[in-house]
Amino acid sequence: MELIDQILAAGGRSAQEVEVYLVEGTGVSAELKRGMVATATGSREWGLSIRTIDHGRIGASATSSPDRWEECLQAAVASMALSTTQEWRGLPEPAEIRRSAPSFDERVVPDPSVAQGFLKGMLEGARKHPEAKITSGSGSLGRSEVTIANSHGIRYTAARTEVGCSLETICGQSTGSEFAHSAFLEIDPAWVGERAAFFAVHSAEGRPMETGPCDILLSPVALAQFLGNILVPALSGRTVHAGRSRLAPLLGQKCFDGRIDLLDDPFARGLGATAWDAEGVPAARLDFVKAGVLSSFAYDLKAAYRYGAKPTGSAVRGGFSGSPAIGVHELVLDGPREAIASDRALYVHDVVGAHTANPVSGDFSVECQNPIWVEGGGFQEPVRKAMLSGNFFDALREIGGIAAGSRIVGNAILPCIRLNNMQVIG
Amino acid sequence: MPPSGIRFFDVRRVRAVATHVDIDNGVVESAGSSFSDASLVRVLGPLGWGMVSVNNLDPESKGELDRVLAEGLALARITEDKVDLAEPPRGERKVPVPGEDPRSLSLEEKTGVLAKIEKAAKVPGIASTRATYIERAEEVFYTDSSGYEAGSAVTRCGFSVIAVAKRNGDAQMGRESHHTIHGFNLRHQEPMGVKAGETALALLDAGAAKGGKMRAVLDPELAGVFAHEAVGHASEGDLVKEGSSVLAGRIGEQIGPAILTIVDDPGLPEFGFEPVDAEGCLTARTEMVSRGRVNAYLHTRETLAALGNGMAGHGRAEAGEPPHVRMSNTFIEEGDASVGEIFAECRDGILLVGSRGGQVDPGRGVFQFNAEYGYLIEKGEQGRMVRDVSLSGEILSTLHGILLCGNKREMHQGFCGKGGQSVPVSDGSPHILLSDAVVGGSGTD
Repeated sequence: MELIDQILAAGGRSAQEVEVYLVEGTGVSAELKRGMVATATGSREWGLSIRTIDHGRIGASATSSPDRWEECLQAAVASMALSTTQEWRGLPEPAEIRRSAPSFDERVVPDPSVAQGFLKGMLEGARKHPEAKITSGSGSLGRSEVTIANSHGIRYTAARTEVGCSLETICGQSTGSEFAHSAFLEIDPAWVGERAAFFAVHSAEGRPMETGPCDILLSPVALAQFLGNILVPALSGRTVHAGRSRLAPLLGQKCFDGRIDLLDDPFARGLGATAWDAEGVPAARLDFVKAGVLSSFAYDLKAAYRYGAKPTGSAVRGGFSGSPAIGVHELVLDGPREAIASDRALYVHDVVGAHTANPVSGDFSVECQNPIWVEGGGFQEPVRKAMLSGNFFDALREIGGIAAGSRIVGNAILPCIRLNNMQVIG
Repeated sequence: MPPSGIRFFDVRRVRAVATHVDIDNGVVESAGSSFSDASLVRVLGPLGWGMVSVNNLDPESKGELDRVLAEGLALARITEDKVDLAEPPRGERKVPVPGEDPRSLSLEEKTGVLAKIEKAAKVPGIASTRATYIERAEEVFYTDSSGYEAGSAVTRCGFSVIAVAKRNGDAQMGRESHHTIHGFNLRHQEPMGVKAGETALALLDAGAAKGGKMRAVLDPELAGVFAHEAVGHASEGDLVKEGSSVLAGRIGEQIGPAILTIVDDPGLPEFGFEPVDAEGCLTARTEMVSRGRVNAYLHTRETLAALGNGMAGHGRAEAGEPPHVRMSNTFIEEGDASVGEIFAECRDGILLVGSRGGQVDPGRGVFQFNAEYGYLIEKGEQGRMVRDVSLSGEILSTLHGILLCGNKREMHQGFCGKGGQSVPVSDGSPHILLSDAVVGGSGTD
């Protein structure tokens, strides 16, 4: 903490405002190869990011070396001189943070034997489908402490924990995978193992399907891929004002099915829970879509000041080395829940290639992982190969419903949803 | 001699300076540098690996290294699978001398040159432009328990520029990029900005492609991605060893036509160049597919010892991360067909141009990737432009469907993700003609 004071004092001699973001963490992971523990890894991370701001110019730098903080500060000041002057109304003042976010579980200790236990649990679950062979898997635990401080007196520290496990399996030429992540010691490795093995074994009997339109059940994992690659970038205030979001002119309009609510809930029990954003702005629920109506875009301080919008506490960082950028803490898709697997539809467990979608237009074409026909509320016959094409913005205009239950997928908490009449190439 | 209980250890320390410039619609959003110093220490215990990732390790401080080795050994003790290592090929390739060393230029100058490219993209009708410059200067130091030491320094840099055109609620994007190890590459590149702008405008008038099975001509960029996704990943020794590759157990098997040879060469002075791999091994060319037959896998020392059939020297890692078997510069060798002959042979089909990236499930043998755009081919002639076209397929059946390989290869640069790590790569190919390609598109006619 002495270091933070030193940086703020030294930075104050070159800039009107200074911000320090410090991350310290430890973690362990264990890796499975062909059903046996092959590798165990421990990590210790230390990272410092500095921003300096003077008359609307913002500079930034980062380092992983505590003894290079002065060089890092100098680089931030030098970078400040190059950035374009923009409207700037200051880093946040200290605020009373009334709620704590569910981001820490004291039971999470980076102990390799616990990671090993996750692997054993997954193997036990996978044994329910003995035809599946284990190819790889991992179990991990991590603890970190994140501090943000600025020259206005903000100094917030949060402790974070994360546990996770994942398993990949194969049966003949059919693959299956599953994972679970949480900030709490609440994952169920046996379930992960059972599901990963089930999908490989069940899909091994996949038959070709006819090319043509059909309804699709997007699993939470598949849905997260589309939201993350297409919809979330289009909700960023910067993308909107830069003219790269299809949603830009549609604020206040009904763009999506009336059953869809889409929001950022930083206090939800997921992986990105936080009481303040990456610039020290108090985090709060942000409704992007309410009953199908586009209600808000996300802003960090920079975009909000520049475009005359209200900051929404939406700054996030991808580790210590990145400058803050607009993002979501915990994306939640919600709405009235109903049975959506009664009528025949193609269930898609995951997709290959969602990152190749066109983020501006929303057009995509992806290969489905473990496509399975569903009907009467359950899985029916598996499909060997299915390529799904369409436009994601259009697909959400009128959906077939939202299923009960949600799960954590990265920084999102999502249900399974039904899309109507999508184009599939068998 | 390594400490008791340790069969082998190595240390890879990477000190890097990363510089970036981001210009968005004429505004310098950010420009600056960051510094990192990350090490990975690997300890081979009685059975498997214990690894420790730390910042600011001084490998010459014996006390510090001993503490990390003890930590690694404790981690290795939970492993169950005995790992053996093949003998390492030693030596280093000479790093090409950059034409204009980007480190010698001021950030102001880089920002100014990038701004010209971004401005050039704003051709009439373009609503939004953005250009980014990235530069990473890495110094790598490697040592292991035998006392071997290797060190190298490579600086990579490059830029990308995007332009977005809008009309009646429709928005389309054009993108151009170039990255290199040969020095500062932004000067006089305004034509690439113009091209990004013109592509975005042209795509407003392009229709959606109708998906289905058809003959497809892949341009050199997309065919390079095809080689990378469809064959490269499935040839990675770690995936083969795990049983996650359709190419496992197929050495010597004919999986494509005799005109098809697919190579990965980390020693080639392209964007994926490595003077020495992440295990301190000399890097060398591996023919994964030779005249249509599966010839070799890509290896680290561990996968070579387990599988044979290939060479070590394909281990790559981000700073402070474990080495994985990775591609570097991957390409399809030239054939003998001219582009005109390829179009004529295609007759009716589609030309797929550029790449928005791809992905593969190597165990299932299914790949998917997207072109930037395409053109219909009608009676052997290039017809109207189409947008949002993709290609997916099963590796083994698709390779047999390669009918012709062109006679002129081009390389393109990008980044490849695997196991949570991203490394710089290049992919390349001549034009190729595929029969029965599964082309995706949302058009209906």
